[in-house]
Amino acid sequence: MKMTATTPTGSALGAAGAVCSKAVSPPLAQRWRGAGNLIPALLFLGLFFLAPLIGLLLRGVLEPVPGLGNYEQLFANSAYARVLLNTFSVAGLVTLFSLLLGFPLAWAITLVPRGWGRWMLNIVLLSMWTSLLARTYSWLVLLQASGVINKALLAMGIIDVPLEMVHNLTGVVIGMSYIMIPFIVLPLQATMQAIDPMILQAGSICGASPWTNFFRVFLPLCRPGLFSGGLMVFVMSLGYYVTPALLGGAQNMMLPEFIIQQVQSFLNWGLASAGAALLIFITLVLFYFYLKLQPESPVGASHAR
Amino acid sequence: MLLTPNAMSRRMRLGLYATTGLIGLFLLLPIVFIVLLSFGSSQWLVFPPPGWTLKWYGQFFSNTDWMNAALASLKVAVLTTVFAVALGLPSAFALVRGRFPGRELLYGLFTLPMIVPLVIIAVAVYALFLKLGYTGTMFAFVVSHVIVALPFTIISIINSLKLFDQSIEDAAVICGASRLQAVFKVTFPAIRPGMVAGALFAFLVSWDEVVLSVMMASPTLQTLPVKMWTTLRQDLTPVIAVASTLLIGLSVLVMVIAAAVRRRTETRA
Amino acid sequence: MSAVIQDAAQNPGQPLVSLRNLNKFYGEFAAVDNISLDIKDGEFLTFLGSSGSGKSTTLSMLAGFETPSSGEILVSGQSLVNVPPHKRDIGMVFQRYSLFPHLSVRDNIAFPLAIRKLASAEREKRVDAMLKLVQLEQFAHRRPSQLSGGQQQRVAIARALVYEPRILLMDEPLGALDKKLREDLQDELRQLHRRLGITIVYVTHDQEEAMRLSQRIAIFSHGKIVGLGSGFDLYQNPPNAFVASFLGNSNFLKLKAQGNAAASFEGQSLSIRLTGGLRSEQDVLLMVRPEKALALSVEQAAGQPLTAGWNEVSAIVGEVLFLGESQTCSVKTLGGTSMTVKALSAAGMPLKAGDPVRVRWATADACVYTEWAESDLNKAAGAH
Repeated sequence: MKMTATTPTGSALGAAGAVCSKAVSPPLAQRWRGAGNLIPALLFLGLFFLAPLIGLLLRGVLEPVPGLGNYEQLFANSAYARVLLNTFSVAGLVTLFSLLLGFPLAWAITLVPRGWGRWMLNIVLLSMWTSLLARTYSWLVLLQASGVINKALLAMGIIDVPLEMVHNLTGVVIGMSYIMIPFIVLPLQATMQAIDPMILQAGSICGASPWTNFFRVFLPLCRPGLFSGGLMVFVMSLGYYVTPALLGGAQNMMLPEFIIQQVQSFLNWGLASAGAALLIFITLVLFYFYLKLQPESPVGASHAR
Repeated sequence: MLLTPNAMSRRMRLGLYATTGLIGLFLLLPIVFIVLLSFGSSQWLVFPPPGWTLKWYGQFFSNTDWMNAALASLKVAVLTTVFAVALGLPSAFALVRGRFPGRELLYGLFTLPMIVPLVIIAVAVYALFLKLGYTGTMFAFVVSHVIVALPFTIISIINSLKLFDQSIEDAAVICGASRLQAVFKVTFPAIRPGMVAGALFAFLVSWDEVVLSVMMASPTLQTLPVKMWTTLRQDLTPVIAVASTLLIGLSVLVMVIAAAVRRRTETRA
Repeated sequence: MSAVIQDAAQNPGQPLVSLRNLNKFYGEFAAVDNISLDIKDGEFLTFLGSSGSGKSTTLSMLAGFETPSSGEILVSGQSLVNVPPHKRDIGMVFQRYSLFPHLSVRDNIAFPLAIRKLASAEREKRVDAMLKLVQLEQFAHRRPSQLSGGQQQRVAIARALVYEPRILLMDEPLGALDKKLREDLQDELRQLHRRLGITIVYVTHDQEEAMRLSQRIAIFSHGKIVGLGSGFDLYQNPPNAFVASFLGNSNFLKLKAQGNAAASFEGQSLSIRLTGGLRSEQDVLLMVRPEKALALSVEQAAGQPLTAGWNEVSAIVGEVLFLGESQTCSVKTLGGTSMTVKALSAAGMPLKAGDPVRVRWATADACVYTEWAESDLNKAAGAH
């Protein structure tokens, strides 16, 4: 590595930067000032994250025989194509429902007095940081044929026969929408908080009724939060494994489950790799759009203001 | 207030609050339900339970498999936290303070494990460790967990480091401290909330990690989520509810600690 | 063009807006305390006061964002209290403009018309006329964030006028702008008012702005209107010591009455305006504007004998300040009362610190108050 030679990496945290830079040509040292601190983490990620990732992706074009056979198979086989379709439709449905549920929650948090709002945010954070497996297990028990929800509905006379809500699409969508709500609420609430309430007053003095004001002023102003939250949830949903594997059935397998199945059950690394490549590609493309929606870079302009 | 009382009709507001109440309950329902269930006496998870009991807790704590899993989970989480902070701290300094080309790109690289689906990381790392013969080792668990915990620690530390005015560190140097002393005596205390938050995130990520762990696990070494996962696929025994409650309990504890740290720094500021 | 419908049937003698015993309580606190006020059709009225004086709350009640705790708001004799803001047909310009950030300038101005479901041809025509009125034709397709503060404020004004409201409320609309731009917009606003004949209720804490713009000023303090009248009247003959101290600069002298037209000040007898009902030895407050007083050196005073209707007190010069077009001289009387005298620089003021000086003023120029609170004499006392 060329930069190690010219950067004062020996001392922790670039501490000796000013001292050592006298010894080497200043412009280059200046150019890489402080970069040395990245080396441990870069080595770690390079060795244990990037290399295996590239290795995995290569297997898709090398195994069992070099070529694009795995990709052909992935798109040509109707069972596999259905996995793809499933992945997208589940992610789409989950995004839709978590938006529908997250929007009123974010709105109410913005509207209620601060103390209340903080409590509601705490509930959202609690649900976000509570064990994913524990929550999924809980839904499994709640939604099963003899579960509380079915029993309650039966007792109320709304249904005569228990609804099938696990090991199918319904279960996956309920469980995953539940898990994704915080990822909608947090960015959306931040967007709503930033809206100047006077703008809504302006809308109403201009003659807009509460409903008109909502649809023509408030909702358009929430759009950035809705888009970025929704996109984030969609991307995350594409890659979820635990919840679909537990709450879904064999007929609604999603791409992540498919990849694991190919590796664990069929030892078909080539096909798994092709699936992984596809998933990464879609994820990164969507994430690129997500970043485009973000107003500023997270590391840039740190000292500008 | 977003819409003043007059700009929003009463019916609209009541409707919103009612909907929100229901959604709030929906968020809490599975969490509360699972905790209650762990104390219920029904083997078949009948709810409301016919009676209350601690026998599932007894079963959990007397079963060496569960206990070993819990212990392993704790060990992995602690080690992951240590390594994630040790790697994340210098990286955050470099990303915030450094002035070198490609900083944005490197930041992207460091947050990539957050974006790449877990399943893919799991399969990729699994393939590597399979080749090296490391699957089922503590090493494999910790390494794989650090990969996904690292972005969380780096982001938290970066956030607090960006809020810290570097001229304060310069002032310490003018006062006679070496740069290293200044960093340890002035900067670290100032960014401690970010470091603590980063550590807590790393701990929670590892503590709750399923996908990576399932791939790394062996019959002799498994974490609590792995044990839950394998048990779940066979039956829904209430002992899983006990394990879930413990997972939830620790998450809540960590959140309370995080809130306490945040409040202390807020009142000090 | 006339953007505002002139209601021919409106009786000029009858007020357009009437506030009757208006109250607004926040818990125990009276933000607006029993205000009654008539606003004439076509008038430019300013609510002037420091922050917390109740002026903005009163405006909010007019707009409908706040509901009065009690009292009545009448427009053309009809109560507005239970009418929501969007049905009031009042125009409003907000302090921070509050333009819709997601709409272009054109769409911002068209918004109220779109809400009112005007035919698109008519809508375009009116928006074009408004753009012309505020001289923003070439910016029609920009977003508000791409405009300067002054331009944004013009858009806000156009948006408030486009639906031809009878009343336009303005809540410190120029507060965020710098001084030069503010003065330009004040001139534009005054011309706009003259051209359109609309009724404007304007809120500000800047007395110069209030003077420059309005036909009448209502001075707010502690939730009450403590002075109402033209800027000239309020300045020349303030109804009370608070208004005197709040508007411009003033000298206050504490006197003891001796009959209805004379009083003693630090042992010296002065003539005061004829004031009915004064008891002997009653405390009275005399207010003299600095520019109404003259400061004469001992030699000048000797050369100009005191004429009838004038008063003179002796004092020592504390400081002389040159301020460009004017200069001020602060003095202290022998009894320790501070006074300031202001004169045009051209008049000359051959004084320096420590000189003995004679301060003179005409009896007719000095206002007499029999009731006041010590805090009224303090400029900053307007707020709660």
